[in-house]
Amino acid sequence: MHGKRLSGFALLAGVMVCLLAQPARGQQAKPKAAAGLPRAEDGKADLSGVWIVSDGLQITPNPPYQPAFQKLWEERKKNASDDPAKYCLPNGVVRMTSRPYKIVQTEKLVVLLSEGNTHSFRRFFLDGRAHNLDLEPNSWTGDSIASWEGDTLVVDSIGFNDRTWLDDTGKPHSDELHVVERYRRPNLNRLEIQYTIEDPKALTKPFTFTRVMTLVPDRDLQEYFCTDTNRLAAK
Amino acid sequence: MSAINRAPKESISRSTGSGVIAAVCSACAALLVLGFPGPARSQAQPPAKSQTKAVPYPGAVRPTTAPPPGPSGPVPRMRDGKPDLSGMWNGQRPLPNQPDPEMLPWAAALTKERTENYSADDPEARCLPGGVPRSAPYHTQYVQTLKLLLMLVEGNIHSFRQIFLDRTAHPKNVGQLWYGDSIGQWDGDTLVVDTVGFNDRFWFDMAGHPHTTQLHVIERYHRRDYGNMEIQVTIEDPGAYSKPWVSNRVATLETQIDMSEYVCNENNSDALHLVGK
Repeated sequence: MHGKRLSGFALLAGVMVCLLAQPARGQQAKPKAAAGLPRAEDGKADLSGVWIVSDGLQITPNPPYQPAFQKLWEERKKNASDDPAKYCLPNGVVRMTSRPYKIVQTEKLVVLLSEGNTHSFRRFFLDGRAHNLDLEPNSWTGDSIASWEGDTLVVDSIGFNDRTWLDDTGKPHSDELHVVERYRRPNLNRLEIQYTIEDPKALTKPFTFTRVMTLVPDRDLQEYFCTDTNRLAAK
Repeated sequence: MSAINRAPKESISRSTGSGVIAAVCSACAALLVLGFPGPARSQAQPPAKSQTKAVPYPGAVRPTTAPPPGPSGPVPRMRDGKPDLSGMWNGQRPLPNQPDPEMLPWAAALTKERTENYSADDPEARCLPGGVPRSAPYHTQYVQTLKLLLMLVEGNIHSFRQIFLDRTAHPKNVGQLWYGDSIGQWDGDTLVVDTVGFNDRFWFDMAGHPHTTQLHVIERYHRRDYGNMEIQVTIEDPGAYSKPWVSNRVATLETQIDMSEYVCNENNSDALHLVGK
């Protein structure tokens, strides 16, 4: 706790220096910054930053699969030649890579950028809309709507195809996949994402796991285009 | 959504002197229509005068009228008073009567060769990034914070550009990138985006206008009102062009439809069909 107080104090001091140096910007000083956790301009928890998975890329070791999906997973473990990632196809929302991610946060939209896999993005809509699958009923990254529960960002996603893998071992899902992610920043350097995976076609019951990400200071996402070097990609 | 699924929206096939090659990607054809500037322009240039066979790309005619305007209304503002460029914008479209590029001989010759070879080697058709400032018919969603302007592009690859508003210099070792390193500064209500650090691999358009790693792109974004963006692009590349190449474009706010999940790699048939001469 001592360290946190110190960093809070340093932040406060930093804000004061800014105030002195640039009086015109004084009104931008965030009143809650001194509490230790960064706050967005609208007072919500600020999740923005560059993050990297720090607790391994595999999800729940043995999801409660129905027999046909258990069999499919066993087959993929023996033969991974159909891995979409090998063809530079999107990882979907559950499978992550060891390359960093970046969260850009605004009041009505949070964007999750990924350096790796397809160097692409997900959008979490915070403007109160309902799911809308008219344009893309079965997509790689689904349709994501979000809301705040206190300092936790709750992201609800449906509208998937059945082609992504849930992790590198080939864990399958169906097009009835429903993912709820709960993003929480318990301290400056730590982001926890609790996943609830529902899929009545593939699973006997929902399962939950938590992923931990660590802040990567002073490094932004770098350009990474899978298609640049991948010969399978153009097939 | 795959590239080929866009066909109904941008359905154009490429004709040749002897007939029609049916298999042409909608994306590339649309780039021809909207890309900047079209092959006809390069062929009108002095370096390409000796070209005897005009390649009749559909849509290669220069626009003679400005595209219809987007919705009017006040410009949204950020908390710091700057214009908020956020929104879903339709693909940039060139205004009529834009100046032609003045190319060095090698660049003119390469453009001619690429055009005559039916753009067979266009990296964009292989799901590589279109680079900067290749215009495309796809949506781009701008997301602006006080520190960053994010451009989420629907296609040709479903990726993003970051324009940093919180620094005024490029990194020393910026590298050779598809999208370069972009920094933005406000000139009144116009955001001036300065980009360097490019590779020399992408084409500016389907005609195949090339560039070198000396490329320096300056884009000026002015949100004139709620639904209309004026964009002036200056291409400086002393390695390929004898003077800066300036063009003016517009983008209109899309209010009816979201961007699709355009996954170029999914069922991409472009590369198979671009066989050249």
